[in-house]
This record gives sequence, C-alpha cells and structure tokens, in this order.
Amino acid sequence: MSLLLCRQEHVKRPYFMESMGIHLYSSQELSYVIFNHPMLVLDGFVDERLLTFLREELNQGFLALKVERWLKSGENPDEALMIILQECDYYSMAEVGRFRQMAAALRKKHPADFMRMKADELFSLRQYGRAVKLYKELLELPSSEHVDDLFFGRVWNNLGSCYARMFQLDRAFEAFENAYKKSQQEVILERLYDLSRIDSRLILSQELQGEITEKQQKLWDDRLIRARQKARDSKQVKELEALFQKDPVKRQAGEAERIYQWKQEYRNMA
Amino acid sequence: MDGLLVGVDLCDEYTQINCPEEEMLWTIPTVICRNKNADEWYVGEEAYAHTLKGDGIIVDKLLNLAMRDGTATLGEVRYGGKELLFLFLERILKLPQREYQKTKTDRVVFTVKRLDPKMNRMLRDLGVRLGISEEQVQVISHSESFIYYTLSQKKEIWNNTVGMFDLAEAGLRYYEMKVQRGMKKVTVVAEYEDREEGFSLDILKTLSGSRLADRIMISCAEKIMAKKAYSAIFLTGKGFADQKWAEGLMKFLCSKRKVYMEQGLMARGAACRAGEEPGNNASFTCICDGRLKTTVSMNVLHRGQENNVTVAAAGDCWYDRVSVIDVIPDRQNTVDFIVTSVDSKKKRLISIPLEGFPKRPEKTTRVQIQVLFLDERTMEVTLKDRGFGELFPASSTQIRQEVML
Repeated sequence: MSLLLCRQEHVKRPYFMESMGIHLYSSQELSYVIFNHPMLVLDGFVDERLLTFLREELNQGFLALKVERWLKSGENPDEALMIILQECDYYSMAEVGRFRQMAAALRKKHPADFMRMKADELFSLRQYGRAVKLYKELLELPSSEHVDDLFFGRVWNNLGSCYARMFQLDRAFEAFENAYKKSQQEVILERLYDLSRIDSRLILSQELQGEITEKQQKLWDDRLIRARQKARDSKQVKELEALFQKDPVKRQAGEAERIYQWKQEYRNMA
Repeated sequence: MDGLLVGVDLCDEYTQINCPEEEMLWTIPTVICRNKNADEWYVGEEAYAHTLKGDGIIVDKLLNLAMRDGTATLGEVRYGGKELLFLFLERILKLPQREYQKTKTDRVVFTVKRLDPKMNRMLRDLGVRLGISEEQVQVISHSESFIYYTLSQKKEIWNNTVGMFDLAEAGLRYYEMKVQRGMKKVTVVAEYEDREEGFSLDILKTLSGSRLADRIMISCAEKIMAKKAYSAIFLTGKGFADQKWAEGLMKFLCSKRKVYMEQGLMARGAACRAGEEPGNNASFTCICDGRLKTTVSMNVLHRGQENNVTVAAAGDCWYDRVSVIDVIPDRQNTVDFIVTSVDSKKKRLISIPLEGFPKRPEKTTRVQIQVLFLDERTMEVTLKDRGFGELFPASSTQIRQEVML
C-alpha cells in the first residue's frame, strides 16, 4: 500500500497510440499500455515518434537517448521496453521482471499464434477495423501442421464477430459461414441463424437449414427474444427514450451530441 | 538592485518607514487630504495642516477603510478605500527616495498588526500598482518584524527570552520571542497577546492619569514576567514615546534586565527583512502569526523507496502557501498526511478516504491533492479525481475537507 508520486509532465502534444485509438498524456499511461498490452508494443512500437514524445513532451531526454543507443546496439529490441518501464518508475522492479518473462514467453509463440493473439487483443480493445486487417492476413497463410482447419475456423469466427460489431452483417454472415465450414461448431451455426433473423436479406442455405433441429431453433429464438428484451431494458436505450421525451430544443441538442458520440466511436472502432 | 529597499509599518494611526541599515525613520500619520479647489493631495502632517487651514478634506484610518472596501467622498468625488491607500503609499514612498536620491523602489516589505489573506493580497496588489514587481512585495506580521529586528541586534540581546510591550492608542500588546537551537536549524518562535490593560493615551496628559497608567503597567508586567528569565525587554509604540510617566514600570523592568526603547521597531524589522532576498531560505525558521507552526508531509513511493514529501513546512507563510501534487494510490484508498508540531515534535496521522471515487483497476486513478490554509491552524485539503488519461477518463469527483492542525 502506497502512494506513487507523479512527475510533473506538461504534455502539450500527447502520443497517439494508433493501435488503441487513444492519446497518452503521461509516463504512467505509457507504462500502463506497455505492461498491459504487450502484444501491441512488441513490434515496431519503439520508434522515432515515441522517442520524440519521450524527449520533448515527457522531458525524458536521458531515457530517449538510452533507448536510442540500445536500439542501435543491435541487442534484443524488446529490452528497450524494459528500459522505458524502469525509468518511468510506475512499475516496481519485480513487475518489470514479470513483464520481461511474459515478453520472452510471447516471443516463443508460433508466428501465426502471435499474430492471432495480437488481432484478438485489438478485438478486445474494440479496434475492429485493425483486427480485421490482421485476421485477413492470417487467412492468407498457407496451411500447415500448426495452421490447420481449427486455426482457420477460429480466425473466420473472430473476423465475423468484428464485422458484426461494425454492423457489416453481410460480411459477418459470410465469415461465419466459412468458420462453420472449417469447425462445424454449433455456436457458429447459432450466430448464422441469429443474423438471418436480424437481417431478412441474409438467408441460410438449404444445407444449413437442414442441420438445424426444431429444438435448437426454439432455443435460439428464445435466446434472441431475451437478448432483444435485454437491449430494450438497457440503460442506454432508456436514456435515449428519455431524450425523446424532452422538448424539441433540448432533444435536438441531445440528438446531435449522441450522434456525434456514435460517429466518433464508430470511426475509432472501424 | 539600483532602487530602494523599504520597510513600511502600516497602521491606522501612523505609518513608519525605514530602509535597511539606515538610522533615518519617517513617522507619518496615516491620513490623506484632498484640496477642495484643486486635484492636489497631501499626506500626514501636511494633510492635517491643510484641513486646519480649511482648504482640504481629510480621510483617516486608511488601512481599515481599504480593508472593509469602504469609500470616502472628497470634493464630490467618491474614492474607494484602496485607491486612497494607494495615493497615500505613492506619496510616502517618495520620502526615502528623495532622502537617498533614488528614482524607484525595488522592494517593499509591509508589516501589519493583523495579517490575513485579504490584507496580504491587497497590499501585494497595491505594491504592484506602485511599480514594484510582485515577488518583491512582501507582507509580514508585527511579530515577524519583531523577530527580524531582534535578530539584527547583538546575540546577547536574544540569547534568552525577549519580551516587548507595544503600547498604542489602539491598545496594549505584549510580544515574546524565544530562540530554539535545533540540530539542523535555529527556530525562532514569537507570540503575542492583546492585553486587556490597554488604556487611552490621553490619560498620560495628567499627573493622576500618568500615575494610574504606571500602576496598570507595573501590575501587567509583574503578571507576565513572573519567574521568567529575559535577555532583553523592548518598549515600543506611541505610549512609550515619552516614558516619564512610567517611572515605576522602568524601575521594575530595569531590575536585572536590559530594557530598550525603540519607536520604529516594526518598521526597522521590516527593513531588515527587506534587506534579504525574497525566496532565500533564511538561516532560521520563523514561527509567528502568519506562519505555520506545524509541518505537513506525506509518505510517497519514489524509485521504489518510501520518501517523505513536505507539503507545507513549519515557518511557511500560511496565507500564500498552496501546494498541488499528483499521486497514484497503489492498493490504498486513502490519502494520508503526517502533521508534525514544531513545539512537541509529536506526529499525527490524518487519513482522508477516497470516498466516491470511481472503481478502477489498481494504479489507474490519479489524485490531485491541493493543500491550502484558511488560517495557521486550519488546512483545507481538496482531492480531485483526474482519472488516467483517455484510458480511464476523469470523473467530477472531488473531496474537500478542512483539517484542524
């Protein structure tokens, strides 16, 4: 239990963390991102732009120089991240040690797994557009002992989820179809069924329809009804309904604000 | 510095001016007068003269008028108290300039009887209006002037308790100063007490009144000084301008004690202070009214080690002390302060829980701590949730708490 004293950092131009779609304003935030999202920082993160941020905004000229020299030395470039973590003093030496072990373990992963984990990380951060790019690259990989149908099935499934969350339902449907072909998982069939119920333009093939039993159909219909009811009862929908009860002037202002917010969120995720 | 360094004792009755290491002392009644027929202003005795002559309108108690944001109408024009005080100060600061042939004043230290944040702000603003840069305008209490003056004297004067009686029309005040030699630094503590024995100085004009005043003062001195060892006693204020009335008091005080009469003691003390660079750490810690008697600190983690960070130190001016620091709690949901009294060195822990702060992962809440003082015994702490950048945006949660020191 303790209080960490924060350095006075007067950041005028924050560092834009492209893969997360956010700006970083302090050495603590930078350390947090490195420590908690290693998949996003292990390749090409420490570059001239980051060094400029360290030097000019965080006033950490000495650290920037140290990192720069390390990179030029030809030693393990991952160690540059440890140098940053140590100098920023947000994590203890023990925590930095744990990060070193974690980074080493990730480096031992198969390149395809490494890339998929990175794409999954982006998915969990709602960076669907960036995740799609990586999933597509993964689908280009030649089949091998490691990159088998199960692997491709997972990638197609995750790709479908990305499209669905970006409201690109036709692409999502197509991806789930491919995922089902590879893995034959019931949960994917349910997703396809749900999409066909949500969007009438999406029609299940005769073959797939034939695979769905009456019992499954009833169960999935019930689940969909419950999900729709849950959405109707959600806080966001209630807030929206309350907004429409307001007088026209307040409503218009609220609508504009809400639409702007949605656009921002969508642009960020797509 | 090319300009003048000045100490100004600003009171409602009179104002005294002195410059560092100079004997010359100006005593000017704190009054201003405007000519009825022209835009001409007179201060002090000249103001009285014009009023008696009938061609001027006088305003007195300028400090009080300015402090209560009062106004005075002179020649059909209404003037704010601050404006009149400014005009007064502008004119009196020319007196030492003329004497020492200087064209400007570079630093001024005002000393006042009652120091509070409003007085501090007002006099600093007036100093800036007078053309002096803000950091070169200081406002100190009479207690602090007493300390600076006494310490500018020979060591034998202050190697034990030093007492001072300040007898003025406004009342009687007793000051006491002690020097405490510590391991690291010398601490000088001065306190005062407004005594009930004060009397109108008009009674000194008659023999019977003088005798009564003498008896009152002897009784008062006996009560205060019993069983204490003094290295010196100072007598100051208009009441001691002529000490003939105080024969009995002088006899009592001068018994085994050194007694000094000093009329411009407060102004001279302020001048001693003006002789020092502002911001320079004095060789001693000054504890008196206007200054903190306690040190407030926090234990924080820096480079893996627990360090004690001073938020406000004993001897700091409480009225212009504002500390702002940012911390990140790690498995801790309180902000803890350590309050150390300069008298007893006892430590007290004050813990403020971060109630109402959003729940976030560990170490992702930046708390801005602002500490200021409402008086020398009351600290106001404000804790603000500053979030953690765009990762965990700040909320409007804020905790404000007053802490008695």
